[in-house]
Amino acid sequence: MTQQIQYLISILTEGAIFGIMALGLNVIWGWSGDFDLAYYGYVALGAYMTLVLTIGQPTAPTQYILGLQLPYLLALLCAVISSALLGLIVGLIALRHLRGIYFSIVTLGAVYVLYVLAGQYVPLFDGYNGLSGLVNPMGDALGLDFQSYPFFFLGFSVFIFILVFIFMARVSGSRFGLALRSLREDERAAAAFGRDIYQLKLKAYVLGAAFGGLAGGLFAAYLSAFNPSAWSPIEAIILYSAVLVGGRGNIKGVVLGIVIMIVVVQESTRYLPDVLGNPNIAPALRDITIGAVLVLFIRFRPQGLLPERRYVDRPPHERVNTRGDTLLARGLGAFNRRLRPARDHSRRGTPASPALSDPGVAADSDSAPPVPEAVVAASVSQPLARDRTGAPEAVEAALVVEKLYKHFGGVVAVDSCSFRAAKGQVTGLIGPNGAGKSTAIDLISGFKLADAGTVLFEGAAIQGLPPHRIARLGLIRTFQTPREWPGLTVLENVLLARWDPEREALWRGLIGPRQAHRSTSRSELGRARDILAELGLDKMVNERAGKLSGGQKRLLEFARIRMAQPQLVILDEPMGGVNPVLGERMALAIESFIASGTTVIIVEHNLPFIERVAQHVIVMSQGAVIAIGPFASLRSNQSVIDAYLGEVPV
Amino acid sequence: MNEILLTLGFGLVTAAILSLSAVAFTLEYAVTNVANLSHGEILTIGAYAAYVIHQATGNVLLSALGASVAGGIVAVAMHTLIIDRFIRRGVGTMAIFIATLGVSFVIQNVLVIIFGAANVAYTIPQGAPHQVGPFLWTSAEEEIILSALAITAALYGIITYTKFGKALRAVFQNRSLARVTGINAQLVGAATWFLAGLVAGYAGFILAESVGSFNPYFGFSFFLITLTAAVAGGLGRPFSTMAGAVIVGIVLEFASSIPSVGASYNLAFAFAILAIIILVRPRGLFTNARRTVFE
Repeated sequence: MTQQIQYLISILTEGAIFGIMALGLNVIWGWSGDFDLAYYGYVALGAYMTLVLTIGQPTAPTQYILGLQLPYLLALLCAVISSALLGLIVGLIALRHLRGIYFSIVTLGAVYVLYVLAGQYVPLFDGYNGLSGLVNPMGDALGLDFQSYPFFFLGFSVFIFILVFIFMARVSGSRFGLALRSLREDERAAAAFGRDIYQLKLKAYVLGAAFGGLAGGLFAAYLSAFNPSAWSPIEAIILYSAVLVGGRGNIKGVVLGIVIMIVVVQESTRYLPDVLGNPNIAPALRDITIGAVLVLFIRFRPQGLLPERRYVDRPPHERVNTRGDTLLARGLGAFNRRLRPARDHSRRGTPASPALSDPGVAADSDSAPPVPEAVVAASVSQPLARDRTGAPEAVEAALVVEKLYKHFGGVVAVDSCSFRAAKGQVTGLIGPNGAGKSTAIDLISGFKLADAGTVLFEGAAIQGLPPHRIARLGLIRTFQTPREWPGLTVLENVLLARWDPEREALWRGLIGPRQAHRSTSRSELGRARDILAELGLDKMVNERAGKLSGGQKRLLEFARIRMAQPQLVILDEPMGGVNPVLGERMALAIESFIASGTTVIIVEHNLPFIERVAQHVIVMSQGAVIAIGPFASLRSNQSVIDAYLGEVPV
Repeated sequence: MNEILLTLGFGLVTAAILSLSAVAFTLEYAVTNVANLSHGEILTIGAYAAYVIHQATGNVLLSALGASVAGGIVAVAMHTLIIDRFIRRGVGTMAIFIATLGVSFVIQNVLVIIFGAANVAYTIPQGAPHQVGPFLWTSAEEEIILSALAITAALYGIITYTKFGKALRAVFQNRSLARVTGINAQLVGAATWFLAGLVAGYAGFILAESVGSFNPYFGFSFFLITLTAAVAGGLGRPFSTMAGAVIVGIVLEFASSIPSVGASYNLAFAFAILAIIILVRPRGLFTNARRTVFE
C-alpha cells in the first residue's frame, strides 16, 4: 500500500467521522438554534467510554474506570448512551431558563468541567496520558490483517455516516424537524401554538449529543487512543466553522462544510513550506484561517454556502409523482418552466377549491378589485348586522377572569381584574396605554405568572399552566408585534399553527413514507392553501415569512389562527400599523373566526374597528376593569372618558 | 486562623486582577451588548507588550504603561473593525458572539507566529514577602492591590460623574434611544472599549507578573474565570461585576488551598459556581429579578 493511498484513506475516514459529528451539532445549533459549546465534550466522552469498555483492565501505572473487554459494537452503543445521558443532564440544567449567550456560557462551563476532570482526575481516564490500546476493533473476528484493515474501517465509517445522513434527511423533512426550526425562529410563537419548547429543545439536545458520542466512539477506534490533547479547542472550532460555512440547518451543506474545512483548510496547510525553519507557522496559519473563516462567514454569508432549503409548494396540477421523479425529469421540468414563464400567472386566477373553503367567507380577495378607501371608511363606521348578539350574561362564557393581580416591583400592572367573554362573540378589550391589557393577556395565556386570581377557560382553571398547555386546550393568542417564524415559508408557518402530537413525534418522521409532513396530509396542505388564498397571501406561499410587510405579517397571523381553529383567540392589537384596506380584510376574517366556532377577544386602540366588530366591550384603566357593556353605552360613561382623556384638574 | 488569613491574602491578589479583567469585559458588553470572547487576548497582548518593553528598557513603570496602551489599541481595533461594524450591518448579537471566538483564535495564533508557543517569563523582581496588616504580601503584590484600588476609584469617578459616563450608561440602557437624543453611540462605544482595553491590558501585565510566565493561550484560560466573575456579578453593571469578581477570586483561592484538590481544578470550580449562580439568579448575584424564558 503506497503512502498516498494510506493518506487518502485516513482523510476519508476522518472526513466521515467528522461528518457525523457535524450532523449531530447541526441538530442542536442548526435546527434547534442553540450555540452549544459543550458539544465536543460529548464526542470526547463517547471516545473515552468506547476505550474503557474495550481495552481491558489497566496495568500498573495507568488507571481508569471499568476496564472491560466488550465487543466493539456493544461498546459503541454504550458510548452513545453515555453521551446522550450527559447531554440530558447538561440540557436539563442549561435549557430550562437560559438562551443565547447565557446558554453558551453554561455549556462552555460544562465542557471545561469535563475537560478538567478528564485531564486532572487520573482514576477516571488516566489523566493527561489518556487511554490507548484499541487496535483494529472487529479486525480479528473478520480475519483482517493490518494491510486490509484501513479499507474495512473506511467502509465501516462511511456506512455509518450514510446511515446517519439518511436519518438526518428524514428528521429534516419531518414535522419534528419543522417544529424544531420554529423554536429557533421564534420561541414565543412556538409556545403560543402549543409547542413544549423545553421538551422539544431537550430532545434535540440529547439527540445531538448521542450522535456526538457515536462519532467519538468511531474516532477512538480510528486513533486507537484518546487523550486531552486530541480534544483541543481547535477541533471544536473546525466543527463550528464547518457547520457555518456549509449552511446551518442544511444537512448537505453541513457535509460540504466538513469537506471544505477538513480537506481544504486542515489538510492543505500541512503542505505549506517551513518558512524560515519555524515549525509553528504552518499550524498557526491553519488556525488563523479557520478563525478568519468563522468571522468572514458570519459577516458576509451567515446562511452558509448552501442555505437551509425551504419547502417549495406547487399547486396540485403542477405536481408530478415525486417518487418516480428522476433527475432527468426534474431537469426537464426546470427547463420547461424556464421556457414558459407565463405559467405562474395562469395559476393565480385559479380559485381555491370551493369544497374546502368555509361558507360565509369572502372568496379569493385577489380576484376582487381593490376597495376604495372612502368605501372602507363608510363601512367601518356602519356596524354590521349582528344577529348573534345577545346579552353576554345570558350566553355561556368561554373565558372567566376573576380578581387577576400582577405587580412588577412597586408598579401594580393588573389590579383585581375580572371579566368574562361570551362564547361565540367578539369581546373588545380597550383602555389607554399602560392600562394593563397586554399584561392581562400574558397572564391569561400563561406567558406571565399571576400573583393572584383565577382564569377559567371552558370551565377549567388554567392559571399557572405553561403557555403550551393553555394553547393545547384551545386558547391561542397573538402578540402586539407580529411573531411569525421568519426563516420558514408562509405555508410552513400556517401548517405549523396546528399542533399535532401524533405527527410531531420524532419516530413519525423516521418510519413510514418519506417526509411525513408533506405526503400524509394532502387535506391539510389544501386547507392551508385555501386559507392563504382567502386572506390574499396565495402569491406569497413559498416566500420566507420574514420578507412579508407588516400588514401581511398580520394577515399571516390570522391565517395561522384559522388553521389552528382554537375555541378562543385573543388578538393583541391586530390593527397596529395596518392600513384601512387591510383592516377591512381583517374585519371579515374576524367574522370568519366566529363563523367557524372561535370566540374572539380583541385588544385594540382603533375604536371604530372595535365598534364595528365587537358585540361587547371591556374598558381597563390602571390595571382594573372600569366599565363593561356594548360600545354605545360607553360613549356616555364618565369614567371611560376620564380614563381616555384624563381628568380635568380642579 | 493564620492560614485562613494567608489564603485570604492570596485571594485578594487574585480578586484584584480578576476584578480589573471583569470590569473591562463588562464595559465592553455594556456598550455593544456583545459578550466578547476575544477579551482574554487583550490581556495576553498587554502581557507581551510589557514583556517586550521590559526586555528593551528594564523599566517596570514603562512596561505597565505599554501593556495598558497596547490593550487599549487592540480593544479599539476589535470594536471598530469587527464588532461595531457588524452591529451596524445588522449582524445579530449571537452571531457576533460567535465571530469573537474566531477573532480570539486568530490573535492567539498570530502571537504564536511572533513569539512562539512556549512560555516566556518576566524578570521583574517580586520583592520579599512581608507582613501587611494581617496578610503576607510581596511588594509586587502590594502594588497590584493598590493599583487595582486606584483604577477602580478612577473608573467610579468616570462612570458616575462625567458626561462620558452618563452617555455610557445611556447607551447601555437603550442604544437607539441614546442615539435619538444625540449621543454618538459609535464614539461612546469606541471610547468605552479603549478605556476597557487600557484596564484589561494592565490586568494582563499584573496577571503575568503574579503568575510569573505566560504563553499565547494564557489570556484565554483566565478569560474563562473572568466570564464567571462577570456573569456572577451581573453582565453590564461595572461595580456589581467587580464585587462578583472579588467573591469568585477569594472562593477560588480557598478552593485551591484544600489539600488534594489544588489549583488545577480552578476552572471547574469557577464554572460550578457559575452554573449554580446562573440557575438561581440568572441576572447576577446582586439583582433579585426572577427570570423565566419569557419574562
